[in-house]
Amino acid sequence: MTDQLRLKSFNLGKFVIEYLVFIAIVLLVIITAIVEPRFLSAENFTNLMRQFGPLSFVALGMTFIIVGGFIDLSVPGMISLVAIISLSLVDTIGEIPAILVGLALGAAMGCLNGTILIISGASTQAKALFITFGMSQVYGALALIHTDGTSMNRNLLEHEMPLTRVLGSGMLGPLSVSFVVFLFFLTVLYIFQTRTFLGRSINYTGGNIVAAELSGIPTKRIMILIYAICGFMAAVSAVVLFSRVSVTTPTVGMNYERDAIMAVVVGGTSLLGGRGNVLRTVLGVSLVVLMSNCMNLMGVQSHLQEVVRGAILVIAIWLDHRRQ
Amino acid sequence: MDNIDNNIILSVKNVGKSFPGVKALDNVSIECRRGSVHGVVGENGAGKSTLMKILSGVYTKDSGTVMFDGETIEHTTPIQSIKKGLSIIYQEFNLVNTLTVGENIYLGRFSEMKGMRNIHKKARELLDSIGSTINTHRMVGDLSAAEKQMVEITKALSFDSKLIIMDEPSSSLTSDELKQLFVIIGDLREKGVTIIYISHKLDEIFELCDIVTIMRDGRVIDTKPTTDLDRSEMIAKMVGREIENEFPPRPHCVGETIMEVKKIRTRKLNDISFTLKKGEILGFVGLVGAGRTEIIRAIYGADKTKELEILINGKPVNIKKPIQAMRESIGLVPEDRKLEGLVLPFSVQSNIAMASLKGISKFGFVNASKEKEIADRQIKNLSVKTPSPHTKVVTLSGGNQQKCIMGRWLEINPDILILDEPTRGIDVGTKYEIYLLIKEIAEKGGSVIMISSELPEVLSMSNRVLTICEGRITGEFNPEKDSAHDIMDAAIG
Repeated sequence: MTDQLRLKSFNLGKFVIEYLVFIAIVLLVIITAIVEPRFLSAENFTNLMRQFGPLSFVALGMTFIIVGGFIDLSVPGMISLVAIISLSLVDTIGEIPAILVGLALGAAMGCLNGTILIISGASTQAKALFITFGMSQVYGALALIHTDGTSMNRNLLEHEMPLTRVLGSGMLGPLSVSFVVFLFFLTVLYIFQTRTFLGRSINYTGGNIVAAELSGIPTKRIMILIYAICGFMAAVSAVVLFSRVSVTTPTVGMNYERDAIMAVVVGGTSLLGGRGNVLRTVLGVSLVVLMSNCMNLMGVQSHLQEVVRGAILVIAIWLDHRRQ
Repeated sequence: MDNIDNNIILSVKNVGKSFPGVKALDNVSIECRRGSVHGVVGENGAGKSTLMKILSGVYTKDSGTVMFDGETIEHTTPIQSIKKGLSIIYQEFNLVNTLTVGENIYLGRFSEMKGMRNIHKKARELLDSIGSTINTHRMVGDLSAAEKQMVEITKALSFDSKLIIMDEPSSSLTSDELKQLFVIIGDLREKGVTIIYISHKLDEIFELCDIVTIMRDGRVIDTKPTTDLDRSEMIAKMVGREIENEFPPRPHCVGETIMEVKKIRTRKLNDISFTLKKGEILGFVGLVGAGRTEIIRAIYGADKTKELEILINGKPVNIKKPIQAMRESIGLVPEDRKLEGLVLPFSVQSNIAMASLKGISKFGFVNASKEKEIADRQIKNLSVKTPSPHTKVVTLSGGNQQKCIMGRWLEINPDILILDEPTRGIDVGTKYEIYLLIKEIAEKGGSVIMISSELPEVLSMSNRVLTICEGRITGEFNPEKDSAHDIMDAAIG
């Protein structure tokens, strides 16, 4: 053990690049805590957990897509459509069935994305980019058609949607319920990704899809699987989103694909595919959420916040390139 | 610098270059005479590519001097060296597939050429001067490997190159195309252009080169006129020891028929049928592009087929995907190690265990300790030279990378193992180890289909040889009785 340690010479540049997100998070927390004491209040902590919610689920799903060597821009359309369909079904079939239908719809849209990619012979990220972009328009437009373009309001009484209420604002000790649900998904998906045959196969597919196929890894099934996971996780986000306010709009999913991709890449999962995992994504989501929170607390203008977000995405991709 | 010998175009003196942890070049000195064809041979990792990259300006040297055409060269960039008259043609060409031949030759010099018409006119003259008939308006992407090479040579000539370095130029050429290349090189030599010819294929070196430099472990071992050297001496100098035989004795373990290919029909292949026996090494001989790889890809389910009828152990099987071929106990070591075989950024362990993962999974969970066992076993078995199983496979030498792919399949131990160019770009020492592995597979009752562009290799290893030409099987030979000449004759068609 000591031999190994001695052999590894310390490389500061490499260390900084490898743990940059972590360092950034720590610095951000320290600086904000000093400048704005409200940051450390219990209230803000609850707030942070809530903000963590919807993005974290999408980002977990997106991790599988990116590790598999692809990309999914259809997330906004999927979130919007699931939110609209689920909420509109609550009246007729009840809360829990409506949520289940929403989750199934998410997974189904994901499967459809994967299948279309396979049929159209798209085996590269670039082709996936355009096809899923198109699919996002389709799902988003369906959501708009369903509501005639208006927002959907279901201010139902608490007893009519108990589960959503708990999910939206319930607390389990110091943690919000949605955060606990996130921890559950994180654990399951981490074990799936690192320990199972299918999870490992996603890495091989992203690393070299041709070699994977020739070595008997079911790459087509993997493509459908990762898109299904992403669609399902987008649906979970949709449910968490409307559970907070019981109101939704047909464009509620906007920009989630950008923030999710940013969180995944900032976390250190390579856009080239093959390398990365969901734990890294947690770091990425933390950074993205903390940054918004800090900028909000400090009263940074919202358009300027967008500039910062865009810059961070570009820097993350540049660092990803540097790491190769 | 006083007594410049005008006959020496390139003089490399005491050049050294280190990378972190590796001394890539150690006190290397080479002199090239103007108008000679100078061969450079050496195993992978001997330092040939590093030296060439220093000459072309991709790397900078740590020490020593380089004189080119009477001028000392200190720091240079690739474009500067090209302009000085030193061009390098890499194994994987540096051409833009979506531009025409003429545009490629004068890429980046459109304005100084004053118009497209002039570009095509000049390109035509240069192509004519090396006896090539390629239309300058054709897209480079549509050209064959040999034609692309001519475009590269023409491009080098368009800069009035005095020295052209060719890195493994023959690796993608058929023997006819190779002959044509030799003619062109001969012409260039007449015109006073110096060629540095890097190759693994010793036959080519002997046929073509006036003088040869042998490198090993970053050092120059010897520089001698080729007429003063013989093959075994050269090999001995390359590997640093005498290799008695280039090939192990041929195994004779042929048994019952295991696979019967009744019919393969694809866009390129016509009514292919043959049999494979247990314990047999079956060689496929043919030119590159004759359909050798297409046949085995069809059998393995890697390509779409119009018709595919295969019997394994007398039973018809349905193979449409590689995974189905694996279920029938067929394995494939593909032609292109880096594109089709390895997951380069992954560890040696991940690459070796790749095909076994499903087998060592229970309820979908991979048994991590078994995965480690597999990697350790195959690393030991094949003596893969790697610091650890967790080293990234991209950092290993070509031979060790190939061993990782062989290990992947040996772990599964398929009844039929297909090897497509198993020793391409691998040094002589490792080649021998791979031959021993192939022999061992046959001796244990496995069947091997072996494709190779190196005729001596197929002929020395196989029990039976099929010749393939233009998508058809044109002959069946016994390499122990039939002459290499007859076999090559059938392969050319």
